[in-house]
Amino acid sequence: MSTPHETTRPPEPTTTGVTKHGSENCATGGTPLLRVQGLHKTYRLGRVDVPVLHGVDLDLGSGEWVAILGASGSGKSTLLHLIGGLDRPDKPANGNPRASIRFRGNDVVGFSHAALNRYRCLDVGFVFQFYHLLPELSVSDNVLLGTMIRHGRFGYMAKRTDLRARAQKLLEAFGLGHRLRHRPSQLSGGERQRVAIARALMNDPDLLLADEPTGNLDRKTGNSILDVLAEIRAERGQTMLMVTHDPEIAARADRIVHLVDGRVVDGGG
Amino acid sequence: MYHALLTRRYLTSKVMPLLASLAVVLCTAMVLITWSVMGGFLNNLTQAGRTLIGDVRIALPNVGFAHYDDLIAKLEADPEVEAAAPIIEAMGMLTLLENRTEPILIRGIEGESFARVTGYADTLWWKPLDEPVKKDRQGDDLRLEETDRTLLQRIYEDGLTLTEIDPITGQPEPAIVLGMEVGGWNKRTDWGGYYPRVQYVAASDGGSELRNIFMPGSGELVVLVVPLDSQGRPLDPVTRKFPVANEFESGLYDIDKQTVLMELRALQRMLRMHAAKRLVEPGGSGVGGSSPDPLAGFFEEDTEGVSEPEVVEDPARVTSVLVRMADPDGDLEAFREKCHAIYAEFTRDHAGEVPDAMMIGIETWEDANRMMISAVKKETGLVLMIFSFISFTAVFLVFAIFWAMISEKTKDIGILRALGASRLGVAWVWLRYGLAIGVVGSICGGLLAWAIVTNINEIHQGIAHTGEWLGSTLTDKPWNWYIWDPKVYVFKEIPHKIEPWKAVFVLTGGLLSCVVGALWPAVRAARMHPVKALRFE
Ligand SMILES: Nc1ncnc2c1ncn2[C@@H]1O[C@H](COP(=O)(O)OP(=O)(O)OP(=O)(O)O)[C@@H](O)[C@H]1O
Ligand SMILES: [Mg+2]
Repeated sequence: MSTPHETTRPPEPTTTGVTKHGSENCATGGTPLLRVQGLHKTYRLGRVDVPVLHGVDLDLGSGEWVAILGASGSGKSTLLHLIGGLDRPDKPANGNPRASIRFRGNDVVGFSHAALNRYRCLDVGFVFQFYHLLPELSVSDNVLLGTMIRHGRFGYMAKRTDLRARAQKLLEAFGLGHRLRHRPSQLSGGERQRVAIARALMNDPDLLLADEPTGNLDRKTGNSILDVLAEIRAERGQTMLMVTHDPEIAARADRIVHLVDGRVVDGGG
Repeated sequence: MYHALLTRRYLTSKVMPLLASLAVVLCTAMVLITWSVMGGFLNNLTQAGRTLIGDVRIALPNVGFAHYDDLIAKLEADPEVEAAAPIIEAMGMLTLLENRTEPILIRGIEGESFARVTGYADTLWWKPLDEPVKKDRQGDDLRLEETDRTLLQRIYEDGLTLTEIDPITGQPEPAIVLGMEVGGWNKRTDWGGYYPRVQYVAASDGGSELRNIFMPGSGELVVLVVPLDSQGRPLDPVTRKFPVANEFESGLYDIDKQTVLMELRALQRMLRMHAAKRLVEPGGSGVGGSSPDPLAGFFEEDTEGVSEPEVVEDPARVTSVLVRMADPDGDLEAFREKCHAIYAEFTRDHAGEVPDAMMIGIETWEDANRMMISAVKKETGLVLMIFSFISFTAVFLVFAIFWAMISEKTKDIGILRALGASRLGVAWVWLRYGLAIGVVGSICGGLLAWAIVTNINEIHQGIAHTGEWLGSTLTDKPWNWYIWDPKVYVFKEIPHKIEPWKAVFVLTGGLLSCVVGALWPAVRAARMHPVKALRFE
């Protein structure tokens, strides 16, 4: 019944060594990993329209870490959901051009359901503010969940040993190697978030979307989580879009953009 | 893969699905037990019906038809026919001991041919036994008594031939065999056997004495019938006293209560259906003598008063011929057609002398017992329908539990979607979950039903004993908790077999109802918007 998502990917764009200020690469014209243009999103509550995003434009260079700063309710999560293929932007109306979210040149907005599922599974890794682990599954099963979805039953069974080893390695890197059998409820908030990050990384996605990954943690724990993310990025060169309303946290990113009145305003980093 | 994992985890970490499983267990077990027991009951009942009339009955009530020996010869010449037997069925009255008179069905039979066509020999009650019957744990059965063996053997043989030796003349005389419940002279025991009742009867000295009423021993009863002439007009009633040769138990209360079997030729004579030369006199009709007959001596009085020889030859008649198939599992309907064809051939040989093939009734034992069978079938169907209806609550239970679980697990659904699971994949998690509950529930339900049905008699006994004990300790009087009391019920034992196809049917039903119950919630889960699911509080 499960529809495994193919494991082959389009050829990677050659990532030149990722540096802390990779944003310049993008600005100077190399094809961005992600290009968002003219994104509109309006929620409808009965007869009342709640406009949230009015024409967001955003480019993300390959290997770049961008922080989105915005007040609560400004639409940061909404933007992340749209980019992550969990929701669709408004159809073109009232003179708005058609929105586009180009990931490696492919328009996510025009994706079929199957392509969207594939995109979410292989290309995007989500990290949520409230961890969103499945409470019934052990830590290692939670981390493996994405690979189960990706490979399907038989593929997973065939690769099980390798995948388990990989999950173990990831969790060990996060200092959770001895807690594989534990349930999420037996972990602290910081530990849960590490598990969630390990899960997001299991399928080795090119784009990490982190929605206030430290929002629920104290500063110290939050900082250690950010250290972990920075380390991973340094190792694998992942592109990361991180949402926060805390300027101090945003400051750790390569570049900061502001979400104000439904638009992205460059704020310099 | 994640489907299996989630199904397993959800199933083992929650109480609700276990409750749903339990509901499925109980519902499947309930339906299967009811169906097996009621179906077994119906089966016993119909088999008892078959025991009594064979497979096909060729009948023309009241008037009957002649040349039946020829018909039987024709039938028995066919390889599909195991045996055929002539019988007469007539209504009559039986005068019981206390001068009560009761209407009865009289069946005139030839013991030997009747036994070949039906299970007659097995239904005869009084015969010597070597082993106690199954429920007779103490071996109380009178028929086990070593001292009575010769008597019982003689009574058994008398029952088979429907004759009894006249103690005065030393000659066999025709006898009757009573249904076990006729007259109420036998008391049914709690293991399903019979004892002759003990009764006070008026003694010659004016008082009363205690007498053991064992009809086959010395009982004689008066039978009254109303003969018809060959045009079907009633003649004067005829009464005759017969010794009781034995008693039979068919298992069907109504039949055991109302049927008396009589030696065929005796009944033919009483009903004026025997072979006779009829002397037509100017003012009416008389009855003439007949062919050589070992019992002819008893009917001598009939031949008296015959004077003038204006002779009409009337062949003997019976009302029915019972036929038994050679292949007990053969196609009954086809066999009926076969009998019909043989009968048609028979009418060609006796044109004008026997009823036309269109007039004669030829029916299978199922048709003959249609009323009874369809009544029990309807009852079974009704009970089954009610229980299936109740079981339908299992569907709603699964539905309600799943609906609640999906609400509770909304976030999990959002997470799965965020990780790339398809709608179908999410739906499958829940359908699979329903399937798992259905499989577990159905199998456990099937096992429970099997355990209960195969031991139902023991369980019943246990309950009854508990009732007796509880009653004795609490109220000094044992309570009767027998539901299936052999003293009252037709069959001694509760049917205790599960037919595999019924089990398969019911278990599949249990499984399907779970899947059906899970279907809508699964669709709801699949249609859930990932973001709404993730934002769900
Ligand atoms: N399903 C919905 N229906 C109606 N309005 C919605 C819906 N989802 C979000 N909104 C509205 O959209 C706006 C943006 O919400 P969003 O969650 O994206 O904000 P946010 O910037 O992530 O806020 P926070 O920092 O508190 O997480 C809010 O005003 C919210 O009320
Ligand atoms: Mg938010």
